[in-house]
Amino acid sequence: MATFKKMLLGSLSLATIGLLAACGNEGETEGSGTGSDSSETVTFWFMGDGNEQVQPILDAFTDETGITVNVQSIPWSAAHDRLLTSVASGEGPDVVQMGTTWMAEFVDAGALMDISEYTESSEDLNPDNFFEGNVATTQIDGATYAIPWYTETRALYYRTDLLEEVGYSEAPKTWEELKDAATKLSERGDNMYGFNVDSADQTFAMMFARQNGSELLNENNEPQFTEPEFTEAMEYLNGFIQDGAAPGQDLGLDISQTFGGEGIVPMFISGPWMISIINENAPDIEGNWATAVLPEGPENNLSNTGGANLAIWNSTENVDNAVLLIEFMSKPENQLQFLETSSSLPANMEAWEDEALSNELITTFGEQLENSEHMPLLPEWEQIAQSFLTYWEQITVGGADVAEQMEAFNEEATNILN
Amino acid sequence: MKSRNKLAPWVFITPAMILLIAFSILPIFIAFFISFTDLSLSGLADFSRIEFVGLENYQDVTSDGVFLQSIGNTLFYVALGVPLVVTLSLTVAVLIQMGNGPFFDMMRLFFYSPSITNIVAIAIVWSFLFNPNQSIGLINQVLSWVNIGPIGWLQNPQVAKISLIILAVWRGLGINMLIFSAALQNISPTLYEAAEIDGATRWEQIWNITIPQLKFSTFFVVVTTIIGWLQFFEEPFVMTEGGPLNSTMSIALFIYKNGFQFNRFGYAAAGSMILFVIIIVATLLQMKVQRRRDENTI
Repeated sequence: MATFKKMLLGSLSLATIGLLAACGNEGETEGSGTGSDSSETVTFWFMGDGNEQVQPILDAFTDETGITVNVQSIPWSAAHDRLLTSVASGEGPDVVQMGTTWMAEFVDAGALMDISEYTESSEDLNPDNFFEGNVATTQIDGATYAIPWYTETRALYYRTDLLEEVGYSEAPKTWEELKDAATKLSERGDNMYGFNVDSADQTFAMMFARQNGSELLNENNEPQFTEPEFTEAMEYLNGFIQDGAAPGQDLGLDISQTFGGEGIVPMFISGPWMISIINENAPDIEGNWATAVLPEGPENNLSNTGGANLAIWNSTENVDNAVLLIEFMSKPENQLQFLETSSSLPANMEAWEDEALSNELITTFGEQLENSEHMPLLPEWEQIAQSFLTYWEQITVGGADVAEQMEAFNEEATNILN
Repeated sequence: MKSRNKLAPWVFITPAMILLIAFSILPIFIAFFISFTDLSLSGLADFSRIEFVGLENYQDVTSDGVFLQSIGNTLFYVALGVPLVVTLSLTVAVLIQMGNGPFFDMMRLFFYSPSITNIVAIAIVWSFLFNPNQSIGLINQVLSWVNIGPIGWLQNPQVAKISLIILAVWRGLGINMLIFSAALQNISPTLYEAAEIDGATRWEQIWNITIPQLKFSTFFVVVTTIIGWLQFFEEPFVMTEGGPLNSTMSIALFIYKNGFQFNRFGYAAAGSMILFVIIIVATLLQMKVQRRRDENTI
């Protein structure tokens, strides 16, 4: 009995040690390209649910250069936290995908490498290859910290058949037409709407404010949220909800129910990723929907430029291979490859000459990209935008007064920026 | 021989103590220190950019409307949820104890599995249950059969808290039920036999034997449940993210949002210190009350 106990204890200890050793080894090859034999490898952090979308490009890279890519895919919901802990620990990948809205805060934290010398010397990395709006998100304080990878902007999705029924053979082209069409569509029934005012997207209202001529922040970075240009846009959007033309809260329905079928919400604004989602989930409306550039506000029809860039982690020792990988992924043919697997629009303008981007649904986004700007590139902007959503909720759900809420919001934004 | 015996307990406790100190005690001290600075993402990357700001974080957080609302919400959760969890788990444990056989075993599994199911899976299912649309949300569909209008379970600011409490009580039943079950099995059957001889009814037996005998486990369950519910986080995080209109925001969720979404670590640390103090005070109060109760019965 005593020998059995000894054997049990012995084998348990052995197993524990083996488990710990295995965990230890895994940690080493996973994240850092530093220390281990990194001459023929490069680590890449990709934001998404799995590697399938980007793997073909990485395999082609390995075929061409012989360098193995250790790719790690991180879901967007966990990406910010992951990058945060990497800043704290100092260990990161070689190449990292960065959302455009996160550039400011991570450059401020010194997490990304200044690659101005590479953009000046390399043909593939020349900023002129890419859309201006995206290049602007990579340049902070005169230095370049990333290369644009894919871009996205927002356009109008609408049900052509339902709009025909209320007298619109084309998409609404102005704010007035949008309001008119949405109101008519919402008159179809009690739980029917015409348009969606997205209360979870912090860029939505900002787009409309810009279309009314608001600068959001002036040259001195002072918030302009109490100016009439901003408040008028908020009144306009709130009007949809208060008049019943747009739902005030999330309906909890699937796109096949809101946009497909009866079209409970037949118009909405979103990015190019919705094209494949609608094709997959609402095949019943094929041919009965289209995309169009945003309706013009009093000043313009500016949309929001987003997307992702590729950056090099500041503390990496594997710079040359990292640059090679980024160069490869910036080539037009590889950006088109990524379009195929993920419906993400190439940031490289040459890629747009290809047939794959001549589909009507997609050319809209190309057109909109010419009138599209990114959100202010400040580290504090994300916090301001999130706080906007809470004041917006007070207006749409709590029925608060627009002017009052914008006063309070403006005050908070000023505090955040100081 | 004697000195070796004295050493043995320490040897067994040391590994656990090291882990506890490294991952629980030390971070508390670090958070305490951080709460007096303006630590943010840039400070994390470069320690020289951290500035000492004294009590500014505490002043700001105590005047933050959202924080005060989250305190109110959390106290509401505790006041409503803890009695529900304790009484329901005790009731279920007593009922299951009354019989043997496959039915009672299945009931035990039935009530325990929510505690061990992943919260994300639970959130997906309950989001569908709570859906305000009467053709999708099961709860509203059943209510429509008795002509009760669609309730915005997660959309109505007044109702949202109740919805989360229902969800959290359903989840929290299992563990406490197990603790009570174990304690129930330790009650000597002779007590019940004596009571039956004296002619006590089932209900009188439960009230006068079972419940007093469970005094210590009830105390344990109440203390741990209060500590757990003061840190109410998972349910609002996966179901409502604190909305609508911050009506479901809890203190822990507020700390998480400010710390990890806005990178305001110093500010969030100040909030977490306040939560820490609340929990310590609540626990000490309960222990004091229990000690007084013990002294009175003796």
